[in-house]
Amino acid sequence: MEKALERFYSVFAAWGVPPFVPQLIVMLMVVSVVILFISVSVMFMIWWERKISAHIQVRYGPMRVGGWHGWAQSIADGIKLLLKEDIIPAGADKLVFALAPMVVFAAALAAYVIIPFGPNLIVRDLNIGVLFYISISSLTVVGIIMAGWSSNNKYSVLGALRSAAQAVSYEVPLVVSVLGVIMTVGSLSMIQIVEAQKRIWFVIPQFFGFLIYLTAAIAECNRLPFDIPEAESELVAGFHVEYSGMRFAIFFLAEYANMFTVSAIATALFLGGWHGPLLPPWLWFLIKTYFIIFVMMWLRWTLARLRVDQLMNLGWKVLLPLAFLNMGITGLVLVIHG
Amino acid sequence: MIPPETEIIERTQETMEEMYVNMGPQHPSTHGVLRLMLKLDGEMVTEVVPYIGYLHRCHEKIGENRTYIQIIPYTDRLDYLASMYNNFGYVLAVERLMGLQVPERAEYMRVILAELQRIASHLIWMGTFGMDLGNFTIFMYCFREREKILDLFESVSGQRLNYAFYRFGGMPMDFPPTFLTDCKAFLEWFKPRLPEYDAIMTDNIIFQKRVQGLGKLDQKTAIDYAISGPMLRASGVKWDLRRDDPYSIYDRFEFDIPVGAAGDVWDRYMVRRLEMAESVKIVEQALRDLPPGEIMGKVPKKLKPPAGDIYSRVESPRGELGFYIVSDGSEKPYRYKVRSPAFVNLSVLPVIGPGHLIADMVAILGSIDIVLGEVDR
Amino acid sequence: MTVTQAVFFLLAAFTLGAALLVVLATNIVHCAIALVFTFFGVAALYVLLDAEFLAAVQVLLYVGGITILLLFAIMLTSRISARGVKIMNEQAGISALVVFAILALMVFANLKGFVLAAAPLPASYATASLGRLLLTTYVLPFEVVSILLLAAMVGAIILAKREREKD
Repeated sequence: MEKALERFYSVFAAWGVPPFVPQLIVMLMVVSVVILFISVSVMFMIWWERKISAHIQVRYGPMRVGGWHGWAQSIADGIKLLLKEDIIPAGADKLVFALAPMVVFAAALAAYVIIPFGPNLIVRDLNIGVLFYISISSLTVVGIIMAGWSSNNKYSVLGALRSAAQAVSYEVPLVVSVLGVIMTVGSLSMIQIVEAQKRIWFVIPQFFGFLIYLTAAIAECNRLPFDIPEAESELVAGFHVEYSGMRFAIFFLAEYANMFTVSAIATALFLGGWHGPLLPPWLWFLIKTYFIIFVMMWLRWTLARLRVDQLMNLGWKVLLPLAFLNMGITGLVLVIHG
Repeated sequence: MIPPETEIIERTQETMEEMYVNMGPQHPSTHGVLRLMLKLDGEMVTEVVPYIGYLHRCHEKIGENRTYIQIIPYTDRLDYLASMYNNFGYVLAVERLMGLQVPERAEYMRVILAELQRIASHLIWMGTFGMDLGNFTIFMYCFREREKILDLFESVSGQRLNYAFYRFGGMPMDFPPTFLTDCKAFLEWFKPRLPEYDAIMTDNIIFQKRVQGLGKLDQKTAIDYAISGPMLRASGVKWDLRRDDPYSIYDRFEFDIPVGAAGDVWDRYMVRRLEMAESVKIVEQALRDLPPGEIMGKVPKKLKPPAGDIYSRVESPRGELGFYIVSDGSEKPYRYKVRSPAFVNLSVLPVIGPGHLIADMVAILGSIDIVLGEVDR
Repeated sequence: MTVTQAVFFLLAAFTLGAALLVVLATNIVHCAIALVFTFFGVAALYVLLDAEFLAAVQVLLYVGGITILLLFAIMLTSRISARGVKIMNEQAGISALVVFAILALMVFANLKGFVLAAAPLPASYATASLGRLLLTTYVLPFEVVSILLLAAMVGAIILAKREREKD
């Protein structure tokens, strides 16, 4: 990869073009690859979710569109959403209404900078890797509040504020549960964290950290059992109730992209990233990530929904103390071992 | 007191602190066209007022203009999720009024179909209740079982939902020859399903925490409000018309009456869940003892019950379903009244609803198990 | 004009534009959202200065914490159709005077130059050195700030709890 880049730059240097031009071109190519990967991955995840939910519920799921087990169902749904009428509610704040899905999607997209698909397959190995993801994920909350408020609908605002409260509350145990891993490795960089798991995956020493992280991640993604902000069968509708067509599709896309991101980070931090015998590293990474996504989907279709106050209770009174305990014990063990 | 509509609408547009919230009539969780007006204080519900009548179809007035046998298909559409039981109750009322005798085989047939219907009704209830709380899978599982029961009913009566299968003095048709084996096969399939539902719902701590302690209804209030059925039994009152005021041949069967302790949503759920197992027992005993013979007794061609009145009640899946018929000697009833259990049970919602969060209203309403066809008639 | 300079001017213009929106917009929620973009612009400027950790923390705390709280406060206390706020009031004259005085002071300080208090840290160790400094040289201010935050949290909980018990 490095040598190919060198040759690419030298071509432009030979023509006397300033160096930022090839750098810009490389950046644009990388961004396109990432967006392409996200699109394909999200379409696959949507199809997969429908299949998994169907088989758990003793039915078949999509079977017809595109032939084999309805693999083109997501594409058909995407086209349908694109063709829908773009409705902006009367009295809504047009600019903020249009901006909100973009903010949410931008936050979901930006987190892909630090995902280590393989030993050299990372957009940029920032040395604040994990912290970067944590700070970007708080941008999603701003987008949600914007979406809820701009819909000019009392229930939207309440739903958005509730969702924001949930996201903010579960960010804290998320961060603290990751601290155990960071302390063990001594660095925030994703590549170094994955490299440190050559001998043993961190899920074994940091088992409780892993469980806390998984629970907090499901809550961050607004998935069942923590999906009260989006629950249609409850009284107050969610923050994206007034969005239809492509704008809704962007929210949907962002939610699934988020799911992939948290699973990827769980893989990199706890499940050994790309380490594994026989298969190429990026394949191992994808297998592990999709396994965690499978677990998330499995939980969604099996469990009931937590009520808002029970959700907050769980986050603040159960997960957070456990996460602190985990961090404390990890620190103690590290100090004793020198 | 909830003030009139216009005042409510003016006030709610002012502040973020909601005072009145309207649930329905179009709502995924009100199980039909029911409208609830909630008065809120923050997230806490302080007052609940149900507005009904959206499905009123003048059932009782129509009954006054139809002959007795023409009313039978109308009774199906009362509690459309337990049609066999509506037929059963009405047919029993007229038989008592006229003093008709029903042959043994017909009695056993009636009990088998009625208890299968009870299982089907409780299955729908459990599926939709779970779905309201976010568990979509139990909905699919319960409906799969119900499909098997509906297949049995279709083989017997030709209909999947509104059967009109009971007649005064017996049954119109005998069971098809495959019914016995099919029914036994269904019971064998169904018995291991109940532990499956337990694994998903009953033993799941999220579900338990969602419903325990909610909507408590104590014994005295339940009796004062004339609550009946699983709601009454969940509040600790061991009262089941099949045992305490037996009709048809229910006194010949061995079955338990599950009773709750606290009267909350969890108890109502457990009572219905255990009742399904009891109904399976009753069907098995009835299948075992089903005698051969006639299915229709002696019934006059033109049905003119003697003048008088009668109130006859049965234990439908929702509670005490009562029919009050006043006859003036002609072939149409002078007055025909239905005491619907869901209507009476719903009346206690303003008592058990307040004091909970909005999200709990859905669970409490679901646990009352209403069918709007019966509430509104 | 190098690329870095061009990027700096772009980011600075973006940040300033957003900041101007904060003070000049009539709708208060627009002001809050423009504040989000301002903070983001500042974080980007930190990245240009090689202070990556500070940039991440800026986004995490300011965007993810303070503006969200601000938005909560605005949405829970004002009406849905937030009407415009006044932009200028009668103290415009005096405030203009004060602003120009501060601007003159900042220009003067910039032209005079800053005396470096400590050697700049090598970029790749910035985060680790920051951590080490916080827990060795500057541990006392660190702990004092923690106690201050704890006091603020306890105060907020007591205030909220009291309101709850009132109903």
